[in-house]
Amino acid sequence: MKPLLLQGHQRSITRIKYNREGDLLFSSSKDHKPNVWYSLNGERLGSFNGHQGAVWCIDVNWQSTTFMSGAADNSLKLWDVSTGVEIGHLNTPSSVRTAMFSYSANMAAYSTDNTMGKQCEINIIDVRTVDSSSLDSAPPALRIGVDSAKVTSLLWGPIDETIITGHENGEITAWNLKQGKACNKVKEHHHSINDMQMNKYGTMFVTASKDFTAKLFSTEDLILLKTYKTERPVNSAAISPIKDHVVLGGGQEASEVTTTSTRAGKFDSRFYHMVFEEEFARVKGHFGPINSLAFHPDGKSYASGGEDGYIRLQTFDPSYFDFKFDY
Amino acid sequence: MPVPDVKSSWADEVEEEGALPAPSEVINNGMKITTEYRLNEDNKKVKTVRTYKIEKRVVSKNIALRKTWAKYGDSQHDKPGPNPQTTFVSEDVFMQFITNKEEPDKIEEDALDKLRNLGEKGAVKCRTCSGDHWTSRCPYRESKLAMATKDVGKVGGGPVAGGGPAAVEEKPKTTAKYVPPSMRDSTGKRVENLNPRQRDDTLAIRISNLSESTQEADLEDLVKPFGPISKIFLAKDKATGRCKEYAYIHFKNRADAAKAIKHLHGYGYDHLILDVEWSKPSTHNN
Repeated sequence: MKPLLLQGHQRSITRIKYNREGDLLFSSSKDHKPNVWYSLNGERLGSFNGHQGAVWCIDVNWQSTTFMSGAADNSLKLWDVSTGVEIGHLNTPSSVRTAMFSYSANMAAYSTDNTMGKQCEINIIDVRTVDSSSLDSAPPALRIGVDSAKVTSLLWGPIDETIITGHENGEITAWNLKQGKACNKVKEHHHSINDMQMNKYGTMFVTASKDFTAKLFSTEDLILLKTYKTERPVNSAAISPIKDHVVLGGGQEASEVTTTSTRAGKFDSRFYHMVFEEEFARVKGHFGPINSLAFHPDGKSYASGGEDGYIRLQTFDPSYFDFKFDY
Repeated sequence: MPVPDVKSSWADEVEEEGALPAPSEVINNGMKITTEYRLNEDNKKVKTVRTYKIEKRVVSKNIALRKTWAKYGDSQHDKPGPNPQTTFVSEDVFMQFITNKEEPDKIEEDALDKLRNLGEKGAVKCRTCSGDHWTSRCPYRESKLAMATKDVGKVGGGPVAGGGPAAVEEKPKTTAKYVPPSMRDSTGKRVENLNPRQRDDTLAIRISNLSESTQEADLEDLVKPFGPISKIFLAKDKATGRCKEYAYIHFKNRADAAKAIKHLHGYGYDHLILDVEWSKPSTHNN
């Protein structure tokens, strides 16, 4: 395969995400401008200029009309995808670590860091009546303080009734939004959970943890189903929408990269069989750890964003589809 | 999209030596070719030609609508199509499948075991004590016997000193002549003429002057009546997927191939007259 190399960011990529149809790819980085690209040819549609700090989290609603980004400049912004104009702005007490639209995109959840003497908080906001003034002044629909380790990843559960958060200490918590409190809690990881991604149907999700493993959980009751082991911290993991495959990306920590060669760093995307937990393929490419991975919704290509600041759009060769896992 | 006039003759190019020629963009039969000029560090003109393939896809209304949006932000001034500043095609990367990762290790172990077994069967002889083991594994290696034989070798200086040369002579008898891995078959024996292409070539014919629109299926229909075929190779242009006007057919029997040449040479096919001959062995093969 000949990957498309997208170089629109000056600093390391933090998160990449496809929209529902997969024709647009959103990316954010530690420079202050999230980008949006046409996934088919790698053409850049535009950038969302306005943040003043590293952008940690992005999401797009299912109609691909509104784009949300949370940044280290203590703000959450909403944008019009068609024009790149800011339509909503929300000041937060500390930097926004995670953000996600609910499936209906009527609501959005975001979490803030527990830095600068501030508590880590999960907020649910109504984004239907969004305009620059009212979003900031209106109180959130729900605010949950998190006393334990801070939230590092966040997902909406089925039919927007729960949210699932991954924490810095490896805990996973499910929150009931009607009661506003935790309804389930498991601790299967022993290090920070960098990323969580649902499968196509929302029945399972895969976590990526700094404890060198990725794990598959059921969404309903947070039962640990599978474990994928590696030798390096895992920064991101995604489930193929068409095959029983899980792709893991990670590598040496960014601060240790300069002391090791690219070979030793293991910066490959690693493909595991979802059921047998066995690695079957690797794809090289990045010069630094992979920070974020995403499968195209048609399952025929995937994208990875790395600490090296590049996004690589990879379309699978026929050999990938012909490949039969031996068991 | 406006297409700038690109009819510039070489004479024009010489005239405007100081200034850089204007970038151009040509769109023809599904390919867009852009040409840009710039000066490199040595103040020399560099011409960059990029070829894009224009594809049409049927997509849903929403996606089609999104494709028409004007660019914004940092891409506001970009032209339609990927901007070479932000989008590159990187070099080929292959997915490495690693299911049989453990198997090569096993084979290596087997080879070691074989050698070990060989030693036990008496194929190996120690140079110091003439026992059934490698010299390096000799239990008397550090002992007086070893030192003694070495001394004998030095002092005596005769043609057959100690066990050393004897062992060397013995080796060729037991182990076969070295066979490079590329010449080995599955059992490790030497195989002559392993290259299947070479064997095939005597049964292959070359058909040239084919029309551009020829497909593999057409070709198959054309040559099938002459006998069983083992392989058809139709040369195609990588970018456009069109036929490059020649093909090779590998028959299973030489007689069939000869028959095909006899009948097809000069045969009118698709408004062209075919040229069919024996395939010449490629020169760069050996």
